[in-house]
Amino acid sequence: MRWRDPVFVCLISALSVVPAASEEAGVSVRDAWIREAPPGMTMMAGYMKMRNNTSRPQFLVAASSSGFESVMMHRTVVRGGMAGMAHLSQIELAPNGSLIFAPGGYHLMLMTPKRTLRAGDPVVINLEFRGGLVLPVTFAVRK
Amino acid sequence: MNTVSLKFSIMVTTVALAAMLAGVWLAEIYRQHDSRAMLLPDRVMTLFPEPKPLTAFALTDDKNRVFDLASLKGKWSFLFFGFTHCPDVCPTTLAVLARARDNIASNKVGAEDIQFVFISVDPNRDSASKLRQYVEYFDKSFVGVTGDNAQIGNLAGQLGATYQVAITPGLENYPVYHTTAVFLVDPRARSHAVFTPPHDAEAISKRFKVVRELEAGNAT
Repeated sequence: MRWRDPVFVCLISALSVVPAASEEAGVSVRDAWIREAPPGMTMMAGYMKMRNNTSRPQFLVAASSSGFESVMMHRTVVRGGMAGMAHLSQIELAPNGSLIFAPGGYHLMLMTPKRTLRAGDPVVINLEFRGGLVLPVTFAVRK
Repeated sequence: MNTVSLKFSIMVTTVALAAMLAGVWLAEIYRQHDSRAMLLPDRVMTLFPEPKPLTAFALTDDKNRVFDLASLKGKWSFLFFGFTHCPDVCPTTLAVLARARDNIASNKVGAEDIQFVFISVDPNRDSASKLRQYVEYFDKSFVGVTGDNAQIGNLAGQLGATYQVAITPGLENYPVYHTTAVFLVDPRARSHAVFTPPHDAEAISKRFKVVRELEAGNAT
Protein backbone atom coordinates (compact mmCIF):
# COMPACT_ATOMS: atom_id res chain seq x y z
CA MET A 1 0.00 0.00 0.00
CA ARG A 2 1.33 3.37 -1.03
CA TRP A 3 0.40 4.80 2.33
CA ARG A 4 3.05 2.66 4.02
CA ASP A 5 5.71 3.23 1.40
CA PRO A 6 8.73 4.53 3.38
CA VAL A 7 9.50 7.20 0.78
CA PHE A 8 5.94 8.43 0.91
CA VAL A 9 5.90 8.43 4.69
CA CYS A 10 9.13 10.47 4.68
CA LEU A 11 7.50 12.88 2.27
CA ILE A 12 4.51 13.26 4.56
CA SER A 13 6.81 13.66 7.52
CA ALA A 14 8.61 16.46 5.73
CA LEU A 15 5.38 18.14 4.74
CA SER A 16 3.20 17.71 7.75
CA VAL A 17 5.56 16.49 10.45
CA VAL A 18 3.94 13.18 11.24
CA PRO A 19 6.41 11.84 13.79
CA ALA A 20 7.63 8.30 14.08
CA ALA A 21 5.27 7.86 17.01
CA SER A 22 2.36 7.80 14.57
CA GLU A 23 3.61 4.62 12.95
CA GLU A 24 4.21 2.98 16.32
CA ALA A 25 0.75 4.03 17.38
CA GLY A 26 -0.71 2.56 14.27
CA VAL A 27 -2.60 5.72 13.49
CA SER A 28 -1.49 8.02 10.70
CA VAL A 29 -2.80 11.41 9.75
CA ARG A 30 -2.47 13.29 6.49
CA ASP A 31 -3.92 16.36 4.77
CA ALA A 32 -4.29 18.11 8.11
CA TRP A 33 -5.50 21.68 7.60
CA ILE A 34 -7.27 24.51 9.33
CA ARG A 35 -9.56 26.89 7.49
CA GLU A 36 -8.27 30.44 7.74
CA ALA A 37 -10.84 32.54 9.60
CA PRO A 38 -12.02 36.09 8.95
CA PRO A 39 -10.20 38.63 11.14
CA GLY A 40 -11.31 38.78 14.74
CA MET A 41 -13.12 35.44 14.66
CA THR A 42 -12.56 33.12 17.58
CA MET A 43 -13.89 29.90 16.09
CA MET A 44 -11.96 27.85 13.60
CA ALA A 45 -12.18 24.29 12.34
CA GLY A 46 -9.51 21.69 11.65
CA TYR A 47 -9.80 18.87 9.13
CA MET A 48 -7.69 15.78 8.36
CA LYS A 49 -7.63 12.25 7.09
CA MET A 50 -6.96 9.64 9.77
CA ARG A 51 -6.06 6.05 9.21
CA ASN A 52 -5.94 3.20 11.67
CA ASN A 53 -3.14 0.89 10.54
CA THR A 54 -3.86 -1.72 13.18
CA SER A 55 -6.36 -4.52 13.40
CA ARG A 56 -7.79 -3.11 16.66
CA PRO A 57 -10.21 -0.19 16.97
CA GLN A 58 -8.55 3.08 18.05
CA PHE A 59 -10.31 5.83 19.93
CA LEU A 60 -9.53 9.52 19.62
CA VAL A 61 -10.50 10.82 23.06
CA ALA A 62 -9.19 14.39 23.12
CA ALA A 63 -7.24 17.03 21.22
CA SER A 64 -5.28 20.00 22.49
CA SER A 65 -3.01 22.69 21.17
CA SER A 66 -0.89 25.46 22.64
CA GLY A 67 -2.13 27.56 19.73
CA PHE A 68 -5.73 27.66 20.98
CA GLU A 69 -7.52 28.15 24.24
CA SER A 70 -9.40 24.93 23.68
CA VAL A 71 -9.94 22.21 21.12
CA MET A 72 -13.03 20.03 20.92
CA MET A 73 -14.11 17.17 18.71
CA HIS A 74 -17.28 17.97 16.82
CA ARG A 75 -19.46 16.69 14.08
CA THR A 76 -21.86 18.81 12.07
CA VAL A 77 -25.21 17.07 12.12
CA VAL A 78 -28.39 17.97 10.26
CA ARG A 79 -31.69 17.44 12.02
CA GLY A 80 -35.03 18.66 10.74
CA GLY A 81 -33.29 20.60 7.98
CA MET A 82 -31.11 22.47 10.49
CA ALA A 83 -27.38 22.02 10.89
CA GLY A 84 -25.88 22.05 14.33
CA MET A 85 -22.82 20.72 16.05
CA ALA A 86 -22.67 17.60 18.12
CA HIS A 87 -19.89 17.49 20.68
CA LEU A 88 -18.15 14.11 20.71
CA SER A 89 -16.35 12.70 23.72
CA GLN A 90 -14.58 10.11 21.59
CA ILE A 91 -14.30 9.11 17.95
CA GLU A 92 -13.78 5.49 17.00
CA LEU A 93 -11.47 4.49 14.20
CA ALA A 94 -12.45 1.06 12.94
CA PRO A 95 -9.71 -1.60 12.57
CA ASN A 96 -7.72 -0.80 9.41
CA GLY A 97 -10.27 1.90 8.72
CA SER A 98 -10.07 5.51 7.64
CA LEU A 99 -11.98 8.49 8.89
CA ILE A 100 -12.16 11.80 7.09
CA PHE A 101 -12.62 15.05 8.96
CA ALA A 102 -14.11 17.38 6.34
CA PRO A 103 -16.35 20.46 6.06
CA GLY A 104 -19.93 19.55 6.94
CA GLY A 105 -18.89 16.51 8.97
CA TYR A 106 -16.28 15.65 11.58
CA HIS A 107 -14.03 18.53 12.57
CA LEU A 108 -11.84 19.75 15.39
CA MET A 109 -13.39 22.91 16.77
CA LEU A 110 -10.56 25.29 17.57
CA MET A 111 -11.52 28.04 19.97
CA THR A 112 -9.79 31.37 20.51
CA PRO A 113 -6.46 31.23 18.67
CA LYS A 114 -3.61 32.68 20.74
CA ARG A 115 -2.41 34.66 17.71
CA THR A 116 -3.86 35.57 14.33
CA LEU A 117 -3.43 32.63 12.01
CA ARG A 118 -2.93 33.24 8.32
CA ALA A 119 -2.77 30.89 5.36
CA GLY A 120 0.55 29.08 5.40
CA ASP A 121 0.98 29.12 9.17
CA PRO A 122 1.65 25.73 10.79
CA VAL A 123 -0.14 24.79 14.03
CA VAL A 124 0.58 21.66 16.06
CA ILE A 125 -2.43 19.86 17.52
CA ASN A 126 -1.93 16.93 19.85
CA LEU A 127 -4.34 14.08 19.22
CA GLU A 128 -4.87 11.94 22.28
CA PHE A 129 -5.88 8.32 21.94
CA ARG A 130 -7.27 5.85 24.43
CA GLY A 131 -4.37 4.07 26.05
CA GLY A 132 -2.43 7.28 26.63
CA LEU A 133 -0.86 7.80 23.25
CA VAL A 134 -0.48 11.41 22.13
CA LEU A 135 0.10 12.08 18.45
CA PRO A 136 1.33 15.59 17.57
CA VAL A 137 0.15 16.59 14.10
CA THR A 138 1.07 19.77 12.25
CA PHE A 139 -1.95 21.38 10.64
CA ALA A 140 -1.46 23.89 7.83
CA VAL A 141 -3.66 26.97 7.82
CA ARG A 142 -5.13 27.57 4.40
CA LYS A 143 -7.92 29.47 2.72
CA MET B 1 -36.25 -17.94 -23.39
CA ASN B 2 -36.18 -18.99 -19.76
CA THR B 3 -38.38 -17.43 -17.07
CA VAL B 4 -35.65 -15.23 -15.63
CA SER B 5 -34.70 -13.63 -18.93
CA LEU B 6 -38.39 -13.26 -19.85
CA LYS B 7 -39.00 -11.45 -16.58
CA PHE B 8 -35.96 -9.34 -17.26
CA SER B 9 -37.21 -8.43 -20.75
CA ILE B 10 -40.61 -7.47 -19.35
CA MET B 11 -38.90 -5.34 -16.73
CA VAL B 12 -36.69 -3.61 -19.28
CA THR B 13 -39.67 -2.97 -21.56
CA THR B 14 -41.69 -1.57 -18.64
CA VAL B 15 -38.87 0.73 -17.62
CA ALA B 16 -38.39 1.90 -21.20
CA LEU B 17 -42.13 2.57 -21.58
CA ALA B 18 -42.23 4.45 -18.30
CA ALA B 19 -39.25 6.55 -19.38
CA MET B 20 -40.96 7.32 -22.70
CA LEU B 21 -44.18 8.32 -20.98
CA ALA B 22 -42.24 10.47 -18.52
CA GLY B 23 -40.52 12.09 -21.49
CA VAL B 24 -43.84 12.86 -23.16
CA TRP B 25 -45.20 14.20 -19.88
CA LEU B 26 -42.15 16.39 -19.29
CA ALA B 27 -42.32 17.73 -22.85
CA GLU B 28 -45.94 18.68 -22.23
CA ILE B 29 -45.07 20.40 -18.93
CA TYR B 30 -42.24 22.14 -20.72
CA ARG B 31 -44.60 23.37 -23.42
CA GLN B 32 -47.16 24.55 -20.89
CA HIS B 33 -44.92 26.28 -18.41
CA ASP B 34 -42.15 27.63 -20.56
CA SER B 35 -38.67 26.35 -19.93
CA ARG B 36 -38.98 26.70 -16.13
CA ALA B 37 -40.00 23.03 -16.11
CA MET B 38 -36.58 22.17 -17.46
CA LEU B 39 -35.18 23.00 -14.07
CA LEU B 40 -37.71 21.02 -12.06
CA PRO B 41 -36.91 19.01 -10.03
CA ASP B 42 -33.23 19.31 -9.29
CA ARG B 43 -30.89 18.20 -6.52
CA VAL B 44 -29.06 21.53 -6.54
CA MET B 45 -31.98 23.91 -6.76
CA THR B 46 -35.72 23.89 -6.22
CA LEU B 47 -37.36 26.47 -8.42
CA PHE B 48 -40.76 27.46 -7.10
CA PRO B 49 -43.49 27.07 -9.74
CA GLU B 50 -45.07 30.31 -8.47
CA PRO B 51 -42.55 32.76 -6.98
CA LYS B 52 -43.92 34.03 -3.68
CA PRO B 53 -43.88 37.81 -3.06
CA LEU B 54 -42.26 38.67 0.26
CA THR B 55 -43.90 41.18 2.60
CA ALA B 56 -42.45 43.91 4.82
CA PHE B 57 -39.62 43.18 7.22
CA ALA B 58 -37.11 45.46 8.92
CA LEU B 59 -33.49 44.47 9.54
CA THR B 60 -30.18 46.36 9.74
CA ASP B 61 -27.12 45.89 7.56
CA ASP B 62 -23.45 45.78 8.56
CA LYS B 63 -23.15 49.56 8.10
CA ASN B 64 -26.11 50.14 10.41
CA ARG B 65 -28.41 51.02 7.54
CA VAL B 66 -31.96 49.81 7.16
CA PHE B 67 -32.25 46.54 5.28
CA ASP B 68 -35.86 45.94 4.34
CA LEU B 69 -38.10 44.73 1.52
CA ALA B 70 -36.91 47.61 -0.70
CA SER B 71 -33.32 46.37 -0.28
CA LEU B 72 -34.29 43.19 -2.09
CA LYS B 73 -35.86 44.95 -5.06
CA GLY B 74 -34.09 45.49 -8.37
CA LYS B 75 -31.52 42.78 -7.69
CA TRP B 76 -31.26 39.03 -7.42
CA SER B 77 -30.42 38.19 -3.81
CA PHE B 78 -28.76 35.08 -2.44
CA LEU B 79 -29.69 34.81 1.23
CA PHE B 80 -27.90 32.61 3.73
CA PHE B 81 -28.78 32.36 7.43
CA GLY B 82 -25.97 31.69 9.89
CA PHE B 83 -23.82 33.21 12.64
CA THR B 84 -20.18 34.26 12.91
CA HIS B 85 -19.30 31.84 15.72
CA CYS B 86 -19.99 29.00 13.28
CA PRO B 87 -16.65 27.32 12.47
CA ASP B 88 -17.71 24.76 9.88
CA VAL B 89 -20.90 25.21 7.86
CA CYS B 90 -20.95 29.03 7.55
CA PRO B 91 -17.39 29.65 6.34
CA THR B 92 -17.68 26.66 4.01
CA THR B 93 -20.92 27.97 2.50
CA LEU B 94 -19.72 31.58 2.24
CA ALA B 95 -16.53 30.44 0.50
CA VAL B 96 -18.67 28.50 -2.01
CA LEU B 97 -20.92 31.53 -2.54
CA ALA B 98 -17.88 33.76 -3.11
CA ARG B 99 -16.71 31.38 -5.84
CA ALA B 100 -20.24 31.26 -7.31
CA ARG B 101 -20.23 35.06 -7.42
CA ASP B 102 -16.88 35.06 -9.24
CA ASN B 103 -18.31 32.63 -11.79
CA ILE B 104 -21.38 34.80 -12.32
CA ALA B 105 -19.27 37.95 -12.54
CA SER B 106 -17.17 36.40 -15.31
CA ASN B 107 -20.31 35.91 -17.41
CA LYS B 108 -21.10 38.65 -19.92
CA VAL B 109 -24.22 39.71 -17.98
CA GLY B 110 -21.98 40.11 -14.94
CA ALA B 111 -22.79 40.46 -11.26
CA GLU B 112 -24.13 44.03 -11.17
CA ASP B 113 -27.66 42.78 -10.58
CA ILE B 114 -26.90 40.33 -7.77
CA GLN B 115 -26.19 40.61 -4.05
CA PHE B 116 -25.21 38.07 -1.42
CA VAL B 117 -26.70 38.58 2.01
CA PHE B 118 -25.53 36.78 5.15
CA ILE B 119 -28.26 37.04 7.77
CA SER B 120 -27.03 36.44 11.30
CA VAL B 121 -29.61 34.71 13.48
CA ASP B 122 -27.38 35.50 16.48
CA PRO B 123 -27.73 39.30 16.98
CA ASN B 124 -26.70 38.78 20.59
CA ARG B 125 -23.10 38.16 19.52
CA ASP B 126 -23.03 39.56 15.97
CA SER B 127 -22.76 43.35 15.94
CA ALA B 128 -22.79 45.32 12.67
CA SER B 129 -19.03 45.87 12.77
CA LYS B 130 -18.34 42.21 13.48
CA LEU B 131 -20.61 41.19 10.61
CA ARG B 132 -18.86 43.64 8.27
CA GLN B 133 -15.46 42.19 9.17
CA TYR B 134 -16.80 38.67 8.75
CA VAL B 135 -18.57 38.89 5.39
CA GLU B 136 -16.01 41.06 3.60
CA TYR B 137 -13.36 38.47 4.30
CA PHE B 138 -15.19 36.19 1.87
CA ASP B 139 -16.12 38.86 -0.67
CA LYS B 140 -16.03 42.65 -0.47
CA SER B 141 -19.51 42.84 -1.99
CA PHE B 142 -21.17 40.55 0.56
CA VAL B 143 -23.66 42.18 2.91
CA GLY B 144 -24.12 41.18 6.55
CA VAL B 145 -27.56 41.71 8.02
CA THR B 146 -29.16 41.14 11.38
CA GLY B 147 -31.82 42.68 13.60
CA ASP B 148 -34.15 41.86 16.42
CA ASN B 149 -35.27 38.30 16.83
CA ALA B 150 -38.87 38.96 15.75
CA GLN B 151 -37.75 40.54 12.46
CA ILE B 152 -35.21 37.81 11.71
CA GLY B 153 -38.03 35.34 12.39
CA ASN B 154 -40.31 37.31 10.10
CA LEU B 155 -38.04 37.06 7.05
CA ALA B 156 -36.92 33.51 7.86
CA GLY B 157 -40.55 32.43 8.20
CA GLN B 158 -41.49 33.92 4.84
CA LEU B 159 -38.65 32.07 3.14
CA GLY B 160 -39.17 28.83 5.03
CA ALA B 161 -35.76 29.11 6.71
CA THR B 162 -35.53 27.35 10.05
CA TYR B 163 -33.15 28.16 12.89
CA GLN B 164 -32.87 27.88 16.64
CA VAL B 165 -30.62 29.84 18.98
CA ALA B 166 -30.18 27.93 22.22
CA ILE B 167 -29.00 30.80 24.44
CA THR B 168 -27.90 29.26 27.72
CA PRO B 169 -27.15 31.47 30.72
CA GLY B 170 -23.48 31.27 31.63
CA LEU B 171 -22.54 29.47 28.43
CA GLU B 172 -20.59 31.70 26.07
CA ASN B 173 -20.52 29.25 23.19
CA TYR B 174 -24.21 28.39 23.13
CA PRO B 175 -25.34 26.28 20.21
CA VAL B 176 -27.10 27.69 17.17
CA TYR B 177 -28.92 25.50 14.68
CA HIS B 178 -29.78 26.81 11.26
CA THR B 179 -30.83 25.73 7.81
CA THR B 180 -27.94 25.35 5.39
CA ALA B 181 -30.06 26.13 2.34
CA VAL B 182 -29.39 29.27 0.29
CA PHE B 183 -32.48 31.23 -0.72
CA LEU B 184 -32.80 33.03 -4.04
CA VAL B 185 -35.01 36.12 -4.08
CA ASP B 186 -35.74 37.69 -7.47
CA PRO B 187 -35.56 41.42 -8.33
CA ARG B 188 -39.29 41.73 -7.61
CA ALA B 189 -38.60 40.61 -4.02
CA ARG B 190 -40.23 37.24 -4.54
CA SER B 191 -38.97 34.01 -3.04
CA HIS B 192 -37.90 32.41 -6.30
CA ALA B 193 -35.80 29.33 -5.60
CA VAL B 194 -33.79 27.54 -2.95
CA PHE B 195 -30.37 25.92 -3.27
CA THR B 196 -30.00 22.78 -1.21
CA PRO B 197 -26.77 21.52 0.33
CA PRO B 198 -24.18 20.23 -0.28
CA HIS B 199 -23.42 23.46 -2.10
CA ASP B 200 -21.21 23.65 -5.14
CA ALA B 201 -20.13 26.95 -6.68
CA GLU B 202 -20.26 25.78 -10.30
CA ALA B 203 -23.69 24.18 -9.88
CA ILE B 204 -25.12 27.28 -8.21
CA SER B 205 -23.75 29.73 -10.77
CA LYS B 206 -24.87 27.58 -13.70
CA ARG B 207 -28.41 27.24 -12.37
CA PHE B 208 -28.59 30.91 -11.55
CA LYS B 209 -27.54 32.01 -15.04
CA VAL B 210 -30.36 29.91 -16.52
CA VAL B 211 -32.93 31.28 -14.06
CA ARG B 212 -31.83 34.86 -14.72
CA GLU B 213 -32.03 34.33 -18.49
CA LEU B 214 -35.51 32.84 -18.20
CA GLU B 215 -36.75 35.73 -16.10
CA ALA B 216 -35.21 38.28 -18.47
CA GLY B 217 -37.14 36.51 -21.25
CA ASN B 218 -40.37 36.62 -19.26
CA ALA B 219 -40.01 40.31 -18.48
CA THR B 220 -39.78 41.36 -22.11
